[in-house]
Amino acid sequence: MSEASSPFAGEKAPASPRADLITAAVFLAFGLGIVALSLRMPSFVEQSGTGLTAPGIVPGFHGSMIALLAILLGFRAIRRGGWRAAAPAGTHSADLGRLALAAALGTAYAGFLVGRLPFWLASALFVFAFTACFEWHLSAGRRLRRLLEAAAIGLATGLAVALVFERIFLVRLP
Amino acid sequence: MSNPLDMLAGGFAHVLQGGAAFHALWATLIGIIIGALPGLTATMGVALLTTLTFGMGHETAMLVLVCVYVGAIYGGSRSAILLNIPGTPASAASTLDGFPLAKQGLAGRAMGISTSGSWLGTLFGTAILALFAPSFGEFALRFGSYEMFWVAMFGIVIAGSLSGGDPLKGYIAGFLGLFVATIGQETNHAYARFAFGNPDLAGGLGLLPVLVGVFGVAEVLSSMRGPSVQAVASKIDSVVPRIGDVLRYWKTILRSGAIGTFIGAMPGLGEDIAAWTSYAAAKRASKESQKFGKGSIEGLMSAETGESACVPGAIIPVLTLAVPGSAPAAVLMAAMMIHGLNPGPMLAITAPEFIYQIVAMLIVADMVKLFYGLVLVRPLLWILLIPRERLMPIVFVLCTVGAFAITSRLFDIWVMLGAGLVGFVLRELRFPMAPLVLGIVLGDLLDKNLLRGLVLSGGDIAPFFTRPISAGLCALTALAALWSIPGVAGRLRGLIGRGASPVLGGWTPGKE
Repeated sequence: MSEASSPFAGEKAPASPRADLITAAVFLAFGLGIVALSLRMPSFVEQSGTGLTAPGIVPGFHGSMIALLAILLGFRAIRRGGWRAAAPAGTHSADLGRLALAAALGTAYAGFLVGRLPFWLASALFVFAFTACFEWHLSAGRRLRRLLEAAAIGLATGLAVALVFERIFLVRLP
Repeated sequence: MSNPLDMLAGGFAHVLQGGAAFHALWATLIGIIIGALPGLTATMGVALLTTLTFGMGHETAMLVLVCVYVGAIYGGSRSAILLNIPGTPASAASTLDGFPLAKQGLAGRAMGISTSGSWLGTLFGTAILALFAPSFGEFALRFGSYEMFWVAMFGIVIAGSLSGGDPLKGYIAGFLGLFVATIGQETNHAYARFAFGNPDLAGGLGLLPVLVGVFGVAEVLSSMRGPSVQAVASKIDSVVPRIGDVLRYWKTILRSGAIGTFIGAMPGLGEDIAAWTSYAAAKRASKESQKFGKGSIEGLMSAETGESACVPGAIIPVLTLAVPGSAPAAVLMAAMMIHGLNPGPMLAITAPEFIYQIVAMLIVADMVKLFYGLVLVRPLLWILLIPRERLMPIVFVLCTVGAFAITSRLFDIWVMLGAGLVGFVLRELRFPMAPLVLGIVLGDLLDKNLLRGLVLSGGDIAPFFTRPISAGLCALTALAALWSIPGVAGRLRGLIGRGASPVLGGWTPGKE
């Protein structure tokens, strides 16, 4: 976009050539893996007569396209200096810490708590833990109040979701 | 009932019965709130609300989802104007002039411009939908397997080329989506592809869990990683739209409406591109282009009209070809299928009245949006200040419910988690999500039609290239692919001439 600002740059810089090169290698392996698995699928020639309905044709095509495009991405990354040693990552460790915490709490909730505890309780515990963890570093003087608020929000969320979805909208919960 | 006006009246009568007004009011409100809150997108909103509609009749369900969609795209401009943070990607262009206006103490006027632009944009797009969708639907009846294969390919290529700035990554995302759609039992021999003996995988990856993961879980992770949203200016002047602003910029409104609707009708492009393209075209045509980016009323009006006109535009290919024009439209299409509606060319025969019902729903949603645009200022300001630390876990809980509810499988929650983590990593690596979603949605269409076409022709691929409509679609697909190659794009533009691409506003695909 020449006249307005770029619609896609946003506040984020493009991925580094190094990252693109690694991504290309992963996608190349992934695409070739799909092709290999597609080739191992039965062709059902005896049923169709022609083999044109073989289940591996379409995923094989997709896999080969992914592999081909990954090679192009790899070449482009190399042309842009992807072989050179990676510059030190500009990511803040605090950002990564927050991200890891959010991912861990989400996985613990959706992957382990849900299905083992009643849904309202699992949700209440998750919302409480999430809010408490992310607000822990805020001023220590009001911590107890914030923890109580987090517990209230968690309980309200768990009960409200159970009530609204199960009783009003008749949706089954885990 | 074959008269379009009769069918439109019938559509309104059908939509407005029962508690429709109540549903339209709450759904549009939820849409606006979802759109206004940074980190919650229209796609996520439509996906999450789909869960709530399972127990509803399909007319009510569609009304709710259309209202959420229309509301969310409009709501994004609130945070764009007040926070300088687009509530949804669609509102990114609105920050350029909306926030400077707010800083000048004209936040209310900016919101009035946003309301009038958005209202007129949706109205314009809806008129185009009502006028052209039925006849295009009848034309689409001529499409056979060969043509539908190219429609799917064109969707992937155009979305890959234009939706992310980097066509190569867009194509990879598109084919990744197409691959995801092949997992599970195929239709010809019931062979479970990529299931590895797992019965859950043999059932395939559900569209909704994947979408909720990519747009919900990934958004939660992205939001929690970045810095906190800062407080906003709290003094707001009058939000009542000024007739003078509308009359003065009527050409901009018409141009942006046409661009927005056209971009919406192109598979997989969506509201953000519609807004940016309308903005660029308005800037190019404006006599006050120096004001753009510094609080231009015309700039804000063009972005808002463009993004809102895109909503009905994106529904046109859903109804006529079963190909979504944007990511939220993809979820809307999935919801139509869940509710037993069968969007696509056959709709013109099986339920032609449904097109007019959608028109009525869009107009109802637009009117409710206008109402909220006038009254919902203070409460929304308050909602915008909810800390993400308290909002995001609730969103995550809703994502989990949304993923589980459709088939009641815990496996779907794992799919949501996996899709969320993969979607987050892909986003960090600057892969666009729209082609991925379009690939997942179009995967089945492409799969069935490619194999069906090959069977019909006895293995001969010639009909894919020689049938007239098929050849035209093939040429369009090839042109879109060539256009994404920077060197080739320049030569193509030279061949086509300078005036041939005003719609894209001078933006070169692949050039950031």
